[in-house]
Amino acid sequence: MKNKGIGIFVVVIVVLIVVVVVIDALSNRTGKRGDNPYKLEIDQYYKVDPAMILYKEIRQIKLGDVKPLGLDYSNDRLYVLLNKSLKIVSPRGEELSNINLPDTARCIHVSGDLMYLGFTNYVGQFHIDGRQIKLWETLGEKAVITSIASKGDQVFVADAGNRSVLRYDTHGQLLGEFGGKRNIDDLHGFVIPSAYFDLDVYDDELWVVNPGMHALENYTDEGVLRGFWEKTSMKIEGFSGCCNPAQMTIAPDGTFITSEKGLVRIKAYKASGELIGIVSPPTNDSEETHAPEVAVDESGGVFALDFDRNMIRYFVKK
Amino acid sequence: MGKDGHSRRDFIQTSVRASLFIAIGGLGALGASRATASHTVWQIDPFKCTQCGRCATECVMAESAVKCIHAYDICGYCDLCGGYLKPDANDRATGGENQLCPTAAISRNFIEEPYFEYVIDEALCIGCAKCVKGCTAFGNGSFHLQIRHDRCLDCNECAIARVCPSEAISRISIKKPYLIKGKFEVIPSVEPPKSSSKK
Repeated sequence: MKNKGIGIFVVVIVVLIVVVVVIDALSNRTGKRGDNPYKLEIDQYYKVDPAMILYKEIRQIKLGDVKPLGLDYSNDRLYVLLNKSLKIVSPRGEELSNINLPDTARCIHVSGDLMYLGFTNYVGQFHIDGRQIKLWETLGEKAVITSIASKGDQVFVADAGNRSVLRYDTHGQLLGEFGGKRNIDDLHGFVIPSAYFDLDVYDDELWVVNPGMHALENYTDEGVLRGFWEKTSMKIEGFSGCCNPAQMTIAPDGTFITSEKGLVRIKAYKASGELIGIVSPPTNDSEETHAPEVAVDESGGVFALDFDRNMIRYFVKK
Repeated sequence: MGKDGHSRRDFIQTSVRASLFIAIGGLGALGASRATASHTVWQIDPFKCTQCGRCATECVMAESAVKCIHAYDICGYCDLCGGYLKPDANDRATGGENQLCPTAAISRNFIEEPYFEYVIDEALCIGCAKCVKGCTAFGNGSFHLQIRHDRCLDCNECAIARVCPSEAISRISIKKPYLIKGKFEVIPSVEPPKSSSKK
């Protein structure tokens, strides 16, 4: 009789324990709740066909703790903008010189013996040894200079703040300005949702990124649209997000190298807009969000300035 | 009366005064420490947030105290908005099939060609972070989550903070109870277009 009582007691205890465990397992208390059913899954956009990756990374040039702000390549030299200074390094990574600047520049273009630096709302012209030649007139408080390119005795300046491209002579004399309207009846010209507005010159032709339209547009010197291609797509063949490609440069063989923000990826396109392949695939790294600035050398190798990791990455064709 | 001129009554009076002084001092110190503790509140650091979605499911409130906030000064006012439209949307339009938000808490208002303003209806927002992830991945990152202090119960141990994978939630000063993006933006943002009457 006594043993029977103990047995019933043990069974009751075991049943109670099982009930508590089951209730706990099925409970909806915090820390035990399921995944958010509305979670946005974007992992698919980070997956690319490995056969499309036509470049390999062969070098990384570390730039220290100071955040880099801009990059250009010319004549076997890399020009890296830092806070109120310019570091010149060889493509192998040796530091050649460090030049103090009067202000913080955010973009640089090197042409022969001259450097053009974009100081937020004015251009500074320097000799490549660091001597200041001239600071050009300011473009007003609203201006945000994001890119500079040159062709012969003309210098083109992209102003993201005013959504316009300005054309100067090499002495800083303003020759013209255009806002990217495709024809007189257009309601808008360049669409610049954030301070990314790039341009480059290839084969004497001016190419301007219209990032809000995901387009690359070819203009005459006076600003008349000659042609364009645009590709809006989250998929690898297009440009995603609100303002891409954020950075662009054109290789000596005419290949367009584009760099995107958000879904950070660097790709190569033909001048017709057809995707050639991937230079650097997107990575699902939450710390990597800024579009690397891109520059190319004579052999078509791509330098990518990684703003998130303070380094220059060098890619060559496989 | 003792040999040194102090009576037992003096001793008791002094002891009582000392006890009262210590008690009042202790109460004051306790009150001060509680006051200091209540000078902080829970908040999300938008730069640490990885939009995992747990803010919507883990808050002790039936409808989370976390809501989406829009930093207009860094918004691109884009037609193709990664926070409003599904990544594979058929059209850049307001049709429900194109909208990313599961509760249609974001309205899209035309400003001028080709710019649109995106406004969050907080009463509908459930803090799921879907729009925040889309905006961060494809846009300027102007959508971000914040704990709304008019809803937050200020729990001793925040249920969301406990499970936050990026440790983005911590206690901050009540003097500055929100960590709004935009003020921290380093890259100069382009001014938004002016509103027109066509809205």
